[in-house]
Amino acid sequence: MNRKWLAWIVVPALLTFMYGCPKKKPKTPPPDLNVETTTVPAPAPSPPVRGTEIVATVTPPVEDKKEDPLLSSDLQVVNEELRRRGFSPDVYFDYDESTLSDDTRQKLSRNADLLKSQPQFSVTIEGHADSRGTNEYNLALGERRANAVKDYLASLGVAANRVRTISYGEERPVCTEDVESCWSQNRRAHMIITGRANVG
Amino acid sequence: MRPRSAALPVLLILFPLALALAVAQQPPAPAATPPAAAQPPSQVTIELNRGAGGRKIKIAFPAFRGQLGGDGAAAARELEETVRRDLDASGYFEIQGPDVLSGLHLTGDVQKDLAAYKSTGNEVILLGEVKNEEDRLVFDGRVLDAGSGQAALAKRYRGPYTVSRRMAHTFADEVVRALLGKVGIALSSIAFTSERSGAKEIWVMDYDGANPRKITGHHSTSMSPAWSPDGTALAYTSFFNGPPALYLADLASGHKRPVVTSGSLNTSPSFAPDGKRIAFARSLDGNVEIFTTDLDGGNLRRLTNSPAIDTNPAWSPKGGNIAFTSSRAGNPHIYLMDAEGANQRRITFDGTYNDGAAWSPEGDLIAYASRRDGQFQIAITNVGTLETQVLTSGPGENESPTFSPDGRKIAFTSRRSGRKQIWVMELDGSNQRPITTEGSNDMADWSRGVPPQ
Repeated sequence: MNRKWLAWIVVPALLTFMYGCPKKKPKTPPPDLNVETTTVPAPAPSPPVRGTEIVATVTPPVEDKKEDPLLSSDLQVVNEELRRRGFSPDVYFDYDESTLSDDTRQKLSRNADLLKSQPQFSVTIEGHADSRGTNEYNLALGERRANAVKDYLASLGVAANRVRTISYGEERPVCTEDVESCWSQNRRAHMIITGRANVG
Repeated sequence: MRPRSAALPVLLILFPLALALAVAQQPPAPAATPPAAAQPPSQVTIELNRGAGGRKIKIAFPAFRGQLGGDGAAAARELEETVRRDLDASGYFEIQGPDVLSGLHLTGDVQKDLAAYKSTGNEVILLGEVKNEEDRLVFDGRVLDAGSGQAALAKRYRGPYTVSRRMAHTFADEVVRALLGKVGIALSSIAFTSERSGAKEIWVMDYDGANPRKITGHHSTSMSPAWSPDGTALAYTSFFNGPPALYLADLASGHKRPVVTSGSLNTSPSFAPDGKRIAFARSLDGNVEIFTTDLDGGNLRRLTNSPAIDTNPAWSPKGGNIAFTSSRAGNPHIYLMDAEGANQRRITFDGTYNDGAAWSPEGDLIAYASRRDGQFQIAITNVGTLETQVLTSGPGENESPTFSPDGRKIAFTSRRSGRKQIWVMELDGSNQRPITTEGSNDMADWSRGVPPQ
């Protein structure tokens, strides 16, 4: 009974996937592809899902002939471009800790290189905590995490006056379930470009 | 500016209520047409065991007399229900309501009915009579000694129908004062944070969770409300202008003003009992320490100096000490220091994480959140003996305790029912019940003085 329905959804989806996508050259700008992806019917089973994966991998690295995205006045574009170049926006911490792991130091080292190569940007480091413990203590903990990152970046040569810190404690969780896999995502320092010095 | 627009709704709410109560709170009216054969409430002392050792006073609470129509009927019903609930919640009384009393042969003349009331153990009798004068509710409340028939209390209240709950709270606290010589809590309020309107804002509600009203409208994150000792103002933390900073809200005017806003973090205010200074946590180059400040942000003094986290100060009710949380021993624990910062010493040793101290009104106990077996529970520690008791159990991230002004109850936050809600329990951990249900609610602070309405 439902099968016919399904066919109406799945078949066009498959067709779209098989003929629609490859027709487009890899260099087609991503917006169209994104539109395609979101129109794949959600209730259909596996094929569309696989479709989205492939569509995603087809997404070409932006080969912008016009302009370096880092020159964009839109800081969101700047942040996306820095991430593409290897900037880690988030580093994570153990429970009630603000010490930096070796892995975190490696990421911050890459971040520091990028920031030093782009001295026109100022960065804000947000300190976050998971929900366990009081909100007030977690604000203090977030403050320490943000400053631990700031200090490490400074030790690698990122001028302190380019860096602003703010602690949100447990007030801005990225994940709200009461499980460790969720808590661990919230125990983080988040780095984001928030300003640009006027060059020239 | 933003504070002004935020103040307006508060003003709109507070002003009529303040007006109404100015009228309602008529001076005690001993000679105010006492119904029937009431004695003047002179200095009658009722010889009771005063609930010593937890024994409850048996009080007869027959249905109030008087019939009102329309809006008046609802107001009168709310008044009677609220008096009954307040006395029950006080924990001092065992109430015999109309259901029990209907089994007695009562004539309606209280002096003739004393023996009948006493036959079921009643020690006092509470009589109420309601009527309306134009569009105003008039309430006569009396408490009689069931032995002598003499009045221990006789009060008359008059006001618009909308203040019937407030009338009831006022009378209930008078009853507690007259019979026990103690401060009641029915007129107290609880400040808290709520996300029911979207962003996390500061709210205030009656002690029983009724009558919630929004104090801030910053549309940001506002948190950690702390009552001034006289109940006229709330200090709090808000992100509305960037990094978390300290502000002060005057409740009568609705006006908000900055206290300490410089630097990257100023949080968790707590008033000195004289209301002139605030202890709080402030970041110095990324390390959070305890400071004190005048209400205008002047006279900033640093009290702690450790490379660890020091936060969440709580000024003792007598003013000599400040409790705070420090992670200087590796994990967060509660410490005490003199109000000038000297003599810092650890007072919690059980559990791996103790944080968020609140003082009992007598200054003998602190309540706090304590991590036990991976779960946060509310614990209390006697500051003199360091004897510790855990009051909650199970999951629910129980935290942010605050004592009622009579020291007999603790309000706290729990997630045991899903979202964070404010719960109340007795000091021994019994009778745990939620007093908020709408949205997510947290960070209760119970008033000491009687806040303006």
